Amino acid sequence: MSDARPPRARRPGIRYVFPVAMGKLARIATRLRGGGSAFPGYLTNKLAPTLLPTLAGQFEHGVVFVLGSNGKTTTTHMVSEVLRAHGLTVFTNPTGANLPQGVTSALLADATLTGRVRADVAVLEVDEGYAAELADLLAPSVILSLNVQVDQLYRFYETERVADMMLEASTRARAHVVINRDDPYLSKADPAAMTAPVSYFGVAAEIIAGSAHGLANAADTRSGDAGAVAHPAFAEVIVVEGRDITVQVDTAAVAVTLPAKGLHYATDAAAALTVAARVLGDGFDAERAARGFAQMAPAYGRGEVIPLRGDRHGEQVEFVMFKNAPSMQMNLDALDRAPERLLLAIDEGTPDVSWLYDVDLDAIDHVDVVTGEKAHQLALRLAYAGIEMGLVEPDMDKAVAYMRSLPDTAAGRQTWFVNYELMMAGRRILGHGDQEVARR
Amino acid sequence: MSDRQDGSPAVRIVQFYPVELGVTGDRGNVRALQTRLERAGIPVEVLRVGRGDPTPADIDVILFGNGPLSAMRVVMDDLQGRRAELATAVEDGAAVLAVGAGAELLSESITLLDGEVLDGLGILPLRVTRTRERRVGYIIAETEHGRLIGFEDHASMWTLDAGAQAYGRVVAGRGSVRDGDGAGESVRVGHLFATNVQGPVLPLNPQLSDELLRIAASRRGYSYQPGTAHSCLDVLATGARQAIEDRVGDEVFTFMKV
Repeated sequence: MSDARPPRARRPGIRYVFPVAMGKLARIATRLRGGGSAFPGYLTNKLAPTLLPTLAGQFEHGVVFVLGSNGKTTTTHMVSEVLRAHGLTVFTNPTGANLPQGVTSALLADATLTGRVRADVAVLEVDEGYAAELADLLAPSVILSLNVQVDQLYRFYETERVADMMLEASTRARAHVVINRDDPYLSKADPAAMTAPVSYFGVAAEIIAGSAHGLANAADTRSGDAGAVAHPAFAEVIVVEGRDITVQVDTAAVAVTLPAKGLHYATDAAAALTVAARVLGDGFDAERAARGFAQMAPAYGRGEVIPLRGDRHGEQVEFVMFKNAPSMQMNLDALDRAPERLLLAIDEGTPDVSWLYDVDLDAIDHVDVVTGEKAHQLALRLAYAGIEMGLVEPDMDKAVAYMRSLPDTAAGRQTWFVNYELMMAGRRILGHGDQEVARR
Repeated sequence: MSDRQDGSPAVRIVQFYPVELGVTGDRGNVRALQTRLERAGIPVEVLRVGRGDPTPADIDVILFGNGPLSAMRVVMDDLQGRRAELATAVEDGAAVLAVGAGAELLSESITLLDGEVLDGLGILPLRVTRTRERRVGYIIAETEHGRLIGFEDHASMWTLDAGAQAYGRVVAGRGSVRDGDGAGESVRVGHLFATNVQGPVLPLNPQLSDELLRIAASRRGYSYQPGTAHSCLDVLATGARQAIEDRVGDEVFTFMKV
């Protein structure tokens, strides 16, 4: 796909009926088998290579890409809700379906048989590794780069490569490039290399200084200047009080309530407001934006609260998902106090867990159960931190049974820190299905 | 630190370039050595040395961690300026653990994919060649001190000078050292250890930690022995090692081929 010229957009029409129908059928078939699949997207792309650009070209307010090491799902959610609160119909890809075939599969579900889309704007989270390739197909108007954090070294090798991938994709944005000015690598992007003007977002310096580990962005080990370079921000987080924050967006102060606590979520909100303001132009309205945040449910497993024993009025479980050292650190830093009851879980979905030793665990004082296939590696790290553990039990089902056997907490809520796979497993054990969930 | 109170000397551990060479849990290696000495009742002092900081005297353990190629380039000049002091410390018998990029910096040379050759410090008897293929996954190697177990994630092959030998013979995983017909992993030259094993390597491999600590402690007149205070750590390490041994052979990292 990358060496040939990308296929160009054409007009919707009868030529797309067969490929779209086949794709939709494949989608139904793979769903009956259980779970989502990349196959429908693959099939349709083969049958009609011009379909994807044809669909993308029809969104009146364009296509938005959300890139970043951490926070893509949450921010995509935020942008979508703020735009909806302004009356737009938004197309977005389901949680985690951020590879090319996943994006195609999602678009297929929304398209008519003749290859027409119904939404006004598309907001897509896109995997950094495929961002430039997808940008050639979908011609995004806005590309947002949230952050560059140490993530999946076994896949990306070197963190600065991730920055380069995001910035290379950003050169393809038609209308706006949106960049985190507090990120050491991203803040050094060359505006002259971009087709579109750059808008920066950020967090007020004194708020970052008051955070135990700042924003946890990767230090720049390449240029000799480890930190970020200063830029005026179009949108800046100026007040953080728990979940209530204020973001100065150009001339308007926007007060919003975050779906979950944490400076990383506040940063995501500033990014989302920048994107929304750029997409909407004069149509952007601070009150509507705040309403968008108010309507937002927590994204799957990110601050989501589910009953421990199926009783809505009984003990609850708050899920906190982490992917890597920075996301675990930011979530730990967001805790008000050490959790009363805590489950920690990692399985082989996180191949290398060396980074556990780069996380400062001062925010917790004990763990009730350590679970997942890597329970012993995790427990070893906790033991070296001097943190007490109740139980080391690699089997998640048994670990949950143990958590259910404990007396209720004073706060009425347990806390489960989990990687993606065990977040899904934990939800399932608590009786919440793990079907691919579209965001409306 | 603790030597100031009762006059008994502390074992001095020095981690070099923790900011640039510290992306794979390298703090965990420092932590393992520090905690194990403390639990053996031996005073310990940990120093971290960044670019521009002076090289401490009388080092007992030298640690170099892992990082990207850009970080190697950034610290290279500073490191070359410490060549004489480091060589002296090594001659004096300091124990050395160098992981990944840290090991490459101490090698004779590093040949990059485009043919560029970087000079290393020449403390380790090996030459590094960066490879297109990346080797990722659990690794197990048999060594003179028992099984070396951890996670490998690198794109380097190490060619040893005549007379030098691989520390471990790979029984699962890929390894990074050419060793006759088989695959080798890590290099030991006296009290110098260089490895591409992460995890980090020392918490997962108490036998290697203890080997380094015996060398370091004896320099200060202590006889280091792990005891009951170490057993709760080592029970968990055994569990982690067993889980990895049970796991190898499964094809876990299929998406590397994407």
